[in-house]
Amino acid sequence: MSLFAPDRSQYPAPNPDGSLDIDLSSGKYLKLWHGPNHPGITGNMSVEITVCGDEVVEGKTHVGYLHRGFEKLMERRTFIQCFPIVCRICVPEPDFNEYCYAAAVEELAGLEVPEKAHWMRTLILEMGRINSYLMYLGGQAGALGQGVIGQWTTYARDLMLDRFEEMTGARIYHMFILPGGVRDDLPEGFAARMEETLREIESTVADVEKVMFHNAVFKKRTVGVGVIDPAWLDPYGITGPNARAAGVARDVRKDHPYLVYPQLDFEVATGQDSDIYTRAEVRRRDVLTSVDLIRQILARMPQDGPVMAKLPNVLHWKIPPGETYVRGECSRGEYGYYLVTDGSGYPRRVNVRGPSYTHAMALLERMLVNCNISDIAALMVSLHTYPPEIER
Amino acid sequence: MTDFDWMKIPYALLTVFIVVNFGMLLGAFIQKIGARVGRRHGIPIWQYYADLIKNYGLRTSITHGAMFYLGPVFRLTGGVGLLLFVPTIYGSYMFSNFSFAGDLILALYFVFFGTLGMALGDGESGHPNAAIGITRGLSQVTAAELPFALAVFAVALQYQTLSVTDIVAAQQGGMHNWTLFTNPLAVAAAMLGFLGSMMRPPFDVVIAPQEIPIGPPTEYHSSYLALMQTNRAIFPIAKIVIYMNLFFGGAASWPVFFLKVFALYMVSVIVGVVFPRFRVEQSIRWFLIWALPIGVLAILWV
Repeated sequence: MSLFAPDRSQYPAPNPDGSLDIDLSSGKYLKLWHGPNHPGITGNMSVEITVCGDEVVEGKTHVGYLHRGFEKLMERRTFIQCFPIVCRICVPEPDFNEYCYAAAVEELAGLEVPEKAHWMRTLILEMGRINSYLMYLGGQAGALGQGVIGQWTTYARDLMLDRFEEMTGARIYHMFILPGGVRDDLPEGFAARMEETLREIESTVADVEKVMFHNAVFKKRTVGVGVIDPAWLDPYGITGPNARAAGVARDVRKDHPYLVYPQLDFEVATGQDSDIYTRAEVRRRDVLTSVDLIRQILARMPQDGPVMAKLPNVLHWKIPPGETYVRGECSRGEYGYYLVTDGSGYPRRVNVRGPSYTHAMALLERMLVNCNISDIAALMVSLHTYPPEIER
Repeated sequence: MTDFDWMKIPYALLTVFIVVNFGMLLGAFIQKIGARVGRRHGIPIWQYYADLIKNYGLRTSITHGAMFYLGPVFRLTGGVGLLLFVPTIYGSYMFSNFSFAGDLILALYFVFFGTLGMALGDGESGHPNAAIGITRGLSQVTAAELPFALAVFAVALQYQTLSVTDIVAAQQGGMHNWTLFTNPLAVAAAMLGFLGSMMRPPFDVVIAPQEIPIGPPTEYHSSYLALMQTNRAIFPIAKIVIYMNLFFGGAASWPVFFLKVFALYMVSVIVGVVFPRFRVEQSIRWFLIWALPIGVLAILWV
């Protein structure tokens, strides 16, 4: 039996709007500010928590520390000028923004993207997914004090960044997926070097499985902790591994296929227990799925052919009026771009739907209640959120 | 005061000097070992010296009251006291320090002394999170001390003495005389407690940056942090000296001392480098369920 079994009877009953009337002067409660510069917080956000002993009675998320107004910035830039901005919306996995924005522009402009560019885009997205998951695995273990996992996964991620560098010329913000295709073909010998990297990543993930997932203390801290009720999935807009760990095989790559995913053979990793451990396990298996997908892509990708469609003069590029919503499955769930054009040379409206928006705010607030203060960091990381996605 | 040998004072200072330097080098070396496990190079071996010199050169311009500043002093006193009241090198007049007939009881007291001092200091920091840190720290240290205390009682009963020197003397004549082999249950209980007292995973939630909003190393700074860093070099070694003397036959020379201290330190390092941390109530339960009964059995064994 847990020493911290939730017992709400000792706390004030919630008001109709869900808020609590907490008397801080009673001495029973303590209000703490968790973040934004706190090692237990994922990125630039903070959590205002009210605790009674070690138990969180109420939690409020605070965002806004990183607001740069991307969506508004794009309304004053030409379509091609927007392209180097969008990748900044998500640092660890920037390519999804490039893809979603490019696909939305292509759809409204009626651009036909070359076949090989589709394959290369899929390759880049899977490489970015691996990077994002490796970063997550290190963060999840690190939140519980198992720092060595983060060091291993950082090493493996760095190898993948090497592949990104030789492919795109950049390590973090690649700016490689343009409206119309991709900037360049693969460099000579890329497939062989990628295979070496994939083997190293598989080896690292095998080590991580032994040391992290088979570790009794890690299980003690994560099994049965931070459970997402499957009934919350739709009301809270939960997607990606957070939903899949709850037993719902929700994956845009399968549900609304895009790029060359329909031609690839893969299964979506799912779990049942919906706790921190299961979410981590689903993501670990997703890394191996992405490794397999990259191998399939490199084996079946057309060797020749253009990688970029012919674009009009981008300095005077006007796109007919219209609107579209383009979506894809990033490492955290459904990523979407809603683009409205009015026939001018500028987007009328761009709305970015990052999965962190739903996972890091409303969902986290709900899950913090009755959580032990020591588990806040692990819980936050387990939702795998990146605050820049919230601050668009 | 009539029989006090004043020459013991410079010899004790020499002991402190050797242990501080060994502790600084060992600390950095262990950091490097941890780094190599993580495929990194780690810090330079002299990094602890650079940090210490820098921090001793800094002064604070804020005040939290006298007790806040006495916290690190108490901490250091605990470390130095623990070191100086037990013999470092068995059979050596120079390095027998101020050991006396009942030094085992005093050593137990000094193990806890520094933690209490830090709790008082943190309590006066004015930070609302200090209460959480103190609760965690004292709860966990108390739980970890219980099996150690039982193991010490078992050893005291076994050798019928409260003198560390006599206990080491009883273990001479070969490895088979070590408490490790004559009372393995006491050693098992003590070593489980040892893991809890070294502030390394899985028992480091007290100083976990992710799981508590702030900790003493953040709250203290400048030369007060330097005092804590000095203690961090002395205290683990002093604790290990107790373990070495009680359970592993002590050390009759400095090379044996260095080897045994390193080997014992590595026990907590090897466990800590690959484990995440328990929550406080999980670690307390772990000590009560696994370590404490072994300690009770160790006493019954005797």
